[in-house]
Amino acid sequence: MPVETQKFSPTAPKKMEEHDPVYLKIRDVVYQACGIYHSEEKLYLLSGACKRRMPNTKASDARQYLELLGAPATRPVEMRELLNEITIGETCLFRSPPQLAALQNVVLPELIAARSKIGLRKLKIWSAGCSTGEEPYTLSMFLLEQSEKLLRGWAFEITATDLNDRSIETAKAGIYGDYALRNTSEHFKRKYFKSVEGEKLQVREEVKAPITFSRLNLSDDSKMLFVKSMDLIFCCNVLIYFDVASKRRVISHFYSGLQAPGYFFMGPAESLYQVSDQFRLVHLPGTTTYVKALPGSTGASVAGASKS
Amino acid sequence: MITAANLELRKRVEKLRALPSSPAVLKPLLELLRQPADNISLERVVQLVSYEKTIAAQLLRIANSPLYGRASPAESIQAAISTLGIQRIEDILVGNCIGNLIPHDKWVVDPGVFWRHSFGCALVCREFAERIAYPDIEKAYLAGLLHDIGIIVNSLAYTEDYRAVLAAAVQTGRPLDEQEQETLGFTHCDSGVLLAKTWQLPAAIAEVIEWHHDVTRGPQGNALIAIVHLGDLLCRLRGLGYGYEEWRAIDLQADAAWVELAKHLPKIADIDLARFTLDLDAYVVRITSLVDEIFSPA
Repeated sequence: MPVETQKFSPTAPKKMEEHDPVYLKIRDVVYQACGIYHSEEKLYLLSGACKRRMPNTKASDARQYLELLGAPATRPVEMRELLNEITIGETCLFRSPPQLAALQNVVLPELIAARSKIGLRKLKIWSAGCSTGEEPYTLSMFLLEQSEKLLRGWAFEITATDLNDRSIETAKAGIYGDYALRNTSEHFKRKYFKSVEGEKLQVREEVKAPITFSRLNLSDDSKMLFVKSMDLIFCCNVLIYFDVASKRRVISHFYSGLQAPGYFFMGPAESLYQVSDQFRLVHLPGTTTYVKALPGSTGASVAGASKS
Repeated sequence: MITAANLELRKRVEKLRALPSSPAVLKPLLELLRQPADNISLERVVQLVSYEKTIAAQLLRIANSPLYGRASPAESIQAAISTLGIQRIEDILVGNCIGNLIPHDKWVVDPGVFWRHSFGCALVCREFAERIAYPDIEKAYLAGLLHDIGIIVNSLAYTEDYRAVLAAAVQTGRPLDEQEQETLGFTHCDSGVLLAKTWQLPAAIAEVIEWHHDVTRGPQGNALIAIVHLGDLLCRLRGLGYGYEEWRAIDLQADAAWVELAKHLPKIADIDLARFTLDLDAYVVRITSLVDEIFSPA
């Protein structure tokens, strides 16, 4: 019998439906404008978002909708509406298990080794565009879990920022329902949440304690300059709303805000292609990240790649 | 370098030649695979299919599976072939004639995992080769498909030791070839190239089998080695590996193979690697259904 190995489970649907080829064009338009990419098996998410938008527009089919996304008069508004539709309901705690697994098995050990060399025992993490708090709380719980393992004797602090005041207020409260908790294991629910009003759960104080929430506009250059010596930056599904020039500015702030070697994580479908030539794209099992390498080293050696 | 482990390996592989299920269909099949799809004649394929009696029945079963949604059942080999398409027939034939070499109890790596990796790598290599304008994309497919045949040799000739190798690699998340080197004293590259020579595979493919984990020490001027090296890494990082995660970070664009390819195939600089990687996730679905089709019990 074959040796029993960890079974990976491709989660995508069994059979791919045939798509109207127009959606491939819409996919490319969206990718060029926003840097969010829908591969073949995710195309149904994009076509679904377009179909939900169409009744609110003059477009009655995909081809006409593509025209709306192309025409200078309608493009800016419709693109934003479409992006809202694409990202709606995506936010939840523990949204990207491969990201957390890679953090635990590759990134944290790398960071701990690098920072120990210079006598540091504290990690600084920035959740940029934290929306209603799901991402910083996930990171806080994840790191608390590690505090008796990888991070024994280490401290960490999480800076969580968003442009929207109301999101920040919701985030600070830390109260979530079933939908936001759909990826959260019973272990984490029991350990890090308490029951509140109705059927909802609220994160405990120890999860909130390492996080500082504040309002920040990523386009505000003067404020961005203050962010320094971060170890990890997360910015998921935020830059898709920026034009290329603003995106480049934000990314270069992120780059200078990171201490090398430092890691920048985006949403799983986002790409910095032709946006940054400073960050190195690095592959981890099931996910990717961008690395600010130590001066003089290639991204490969920073990230500990081996010959094979 | 001839070491004791290598010598022992050579002896064991030479014995493998005497296997009863030596694949008669393999040589003509590989020649066929080297042709651009348009040049392949249906008659030739039908002839190949007839080499192995069980294959004909299998092709009919697959062609009539709900996946292909035929209005009326395919009753002839020709009908099955036109339903499945030449490419899929070739994949099924290769999977069968190589897969049948191993009795079920000798598989160490799960056969489904092995074939997902092999077909996945073949697809990725062809796609990658096309995007960087490598002139012979079918050869890239073939090289990707066969690059790990050493794993079959190890499973056959060293079954018990190889189980220990895989278990240790799974445990530590190490690359398989590193664990092989440590435990066995040789890798599936060393054993694979011996089989490639026994089977008289084309020299370029044999070089890929031998050097895909060690591009810098391999022969110069065979871009296929670098293509397969990168395709193999991508597969292993995207759920089409050996059935376990290898916990490391890889900067593919800083990899020696990428740098080498960039010298001769400048179009590689235009590749949007983030997008290419996301496209792979669709392959996982396609490959899984292909492998399920080939290996699901009749």
